[in-house]
Amino acid sequence: MNWAKLTQIDRRIIFITVGLAILIPLIFPIRMPVGTQRVTKHLFQAVEEIDPQEQVLLLSCDYAPQTEAENQPMTVAVLRHCFARRLPVLINALYVEGAPLLDLAMHQVMDEFNAHAKANADSILYGRDVVYLGWQPPPIVPILSMGRSIKGIYPVDYYLTPMDSLPLMTGVHNYDQVGLVLAITPLASPLWYVMYARTKFGVKVGAGCTAVCAPDFYPYCRSGQLLGMMAGMKGAAEYEELVENEYHPGGRRRATEGMASQSAAHLLMMFFVIIGNIAYFSTRRKS
Amino acid sequence: MRDKLPLGLLILMGVLGLTSRFIPHPVGEGMNAYLRDTLLRIISAFALILGLGNLLLRHTHKLEHKEPGWPHSIALIAGFVVTAVIGLLGGVSGEGPLPTAIGSFKFDITTIYNRVLIPLGATMFSLLAFYMASAAYRSFRAKSWLAALLLISAFVVMLGQVPLGGQISPIIPQISQWIMEVPNTAAKRGIELGITLGVLATTLKILAGIERSWLGSSK
Amino acid sequence: MTLGDTIWIWIGALLTFAMLSFLYKDNPLYRFGEHLFVGVSNGWSLAFMYSRVIKPVMIQPFGEACRIAGHEGLKPELFNPVAHANFLVIIPGLIGCLYFTRFITGMTWLVRIPIGIFMGYYAGLAVPATFEGSVFPQMKDTIITRGYFAGTPTGSLWAGICALIILVGVLGTLTYFYFSKEHKGPLQWGSRVGIVFVMIGFGASFGFTVMARVSLAIGRFAFLLHDWLRVIS
Repeated sequence: MNWAKLTQIDRRIIFITVGLAILIPLIFPIRMPVGTQRVTKHLFQAVEEIDPQEQVLLLSCDYAPQTEAENQPMTVAVLRHCFARRLPVLINALYVEGAPLLDLAMHQVMDEFNAHAKANADSILYGRDVVYLGWQPPPIVPILSMGRSIKGIYPVDYYLTPMDSLPLMTGVHNYDQVGLVLAITPLASPLWYVMYARTKFGVKVGAGCTAVCAPDFYPYCRSGQLLGMMAGMKGAAEYEELVENEYHPGGRRRATEGMASQSAAHLLMMFFVIIGNIAYFSTRRKS
Repeated sequence: MRDKLPLGLLILMGVLGLTSRFIPHPVGEGMNAYLRDTLLRIISAFALILGLGNLLLRHTHKLEHKEPGWPHSIALIAGFVVTAVIGLLGGVSGEGPLPTAIGSFKFDITTIYNRVLIPLGATMFSLLAFYMASAAYRSFRAKSWLAALLLISAFVVMLGQVPLGGQISPIIPQISQWIMEVPNTAAKRGIELGITLGVLATTLKILAGIERSWLGSSK
Repeated sequence: MTLGDTIWIWIGALLTFAMLSFLYKDNPLYRFGEHLFVGVSNGWSLAFMYSRVIKPVMIQPFGEACRIAGHEGLKPELFNPVAHANFLVIIPGLIGCLYFTRFITGMTWLVRIPIGIFMGYYAGLAVPATFEGSVFPQMKDTIITRGYFAGTPTGSLWAGICALIILVGVLGTLTYFYFSKEHKGPLQWGSRVGIVFVMIGFGASFGFTVMARVSLAIGRFAFLLHDWLRVIS
């Protein structure tokens, strides 16, 4: 075998191979059990423990279109979990680039639930079951100001509706009524909540992060500062499976769909590294 | 004056920020709330406008002087102007006076975001997967036992993080989880502590006025 | 699905292919998509920021104060910084305008004022928060106590061994990155242990990074197959 030629292969061939490794399992899916990590189970349990009559969940997102593929399924899975439990949700965006994505996720899940609802009591109503607070810069301002008054920093919601006119907000004033802050991010916003909100106001924090920053959050999960975490698309798939097994809300599970392609692509990457090393050491030995 | 005034303001605001954590008095809380919610919020908005203005200036300059790549600047400026006009006059949620639909074809700013920005931004970042594969093939060499250790750890984690790993053997995801929860935690914690203490030291030097590189040149 | 939705999906698909064309080689189509992205993204940010921050926080209160002053004359309440209608809200606006002095020759030093105010406050805020939220809890969790080894729901021999490994790893990593003294004797052994942990940690990070990048590509292909071609349901 001409290993020297193999090391000089045109990279576009590598690109095509990666593309096929992702495309083929999407077209011809192979379903495999996803399995669940401890950190995802802990996060699911943390959301389960919030009393819907007493507290709300604050879903704080700062992702943008660039990481939509990883973070949007997390937001959708958490919203399905909350709506299935009738747990009131507040949503806020910490960065302007991602604000409409949350609107999209919220309406998608509301439509899914309301398609099966027979009466208002079954439905998910905006203003009663979920409120989209909107965006205010810079990120630290809402994180700190919500400890004092949520309406103070968000006098109107994302749609410019006054907060006082929303039924959910009559009983929610600050972090005292928030059972958990779930920060979904490609950056470090869970750590901002840990450093600023948790230390000062005692609010519990969970995380949903892209796989790039997930390794950095494990120390915080171990110390208990983060109650749990969804790590990357796999974490989103795990959470989707937990929600589906417990509540059967239905709906498209984007993260789970991608797991077969993920498996194929990972195998391919490992293959490339092994072949690259064999080629390298063979040519080195010859020379 | 050119150095002393900004430095004085930085130190004053630094002291206010530092002490805000330790003074629970309502007057202190109220003052900090005003500083954060009004003063700094508006200043940060103008910082964003500065960035936008800088970008537009750069590309109009490129257009005027026909620098290499100038036709693409037309796309940038046109995209910016059209989106900004639709957003400012049509409203973010369609509440403005400008109509943003022709029949079933909507072009409000949220639709533009969902149909233009998401495909462009998401695809731009998805290219990294291909380049990562190419880099993995060409550059990742186990030239020493430490590099081999890195690659073995990467392989175990890559296999453990996908359902296929669990199908090959149930022990692979368990080992992968252990790697993340123990040695990875140890390494990341050590690195994080080091970085955090370094950043804190620099921050304190800035607040004390010792580190003045943020002032820029003396002109 | 309406005609409008179909048109937009085709636009999205074409833009996706324009960006993917970069994989073949750098080309004007990719450059067009790149520049369009920057332009639209900034246009969106400007519109949203104006409608959600500048107008409600600055322009409306100032306008309301002018209106009240016009009808009822200047009143002390109009100079209350926390009142809804007040003149003082223009002060942060003026400070923010100092950012633009960087384009005026001879006055560029004024840009340091808003930078100093912004950076100073958040730097001051960050110092105690970082100690209390990051440094001390992480150090506390690294310290081993008997509870780790005890026969409790959270303690066991294995948990204690893992905690010991973490302690050794953290100390080793810190030793490896300690450059103020030459690595000799105990420091050398500490740094050797540290580099092992660092390599395992970086390997894990690489594995996760691969997962992240591949996920983004999966998302894009899923859009093309599900939303555009409708090959998958």
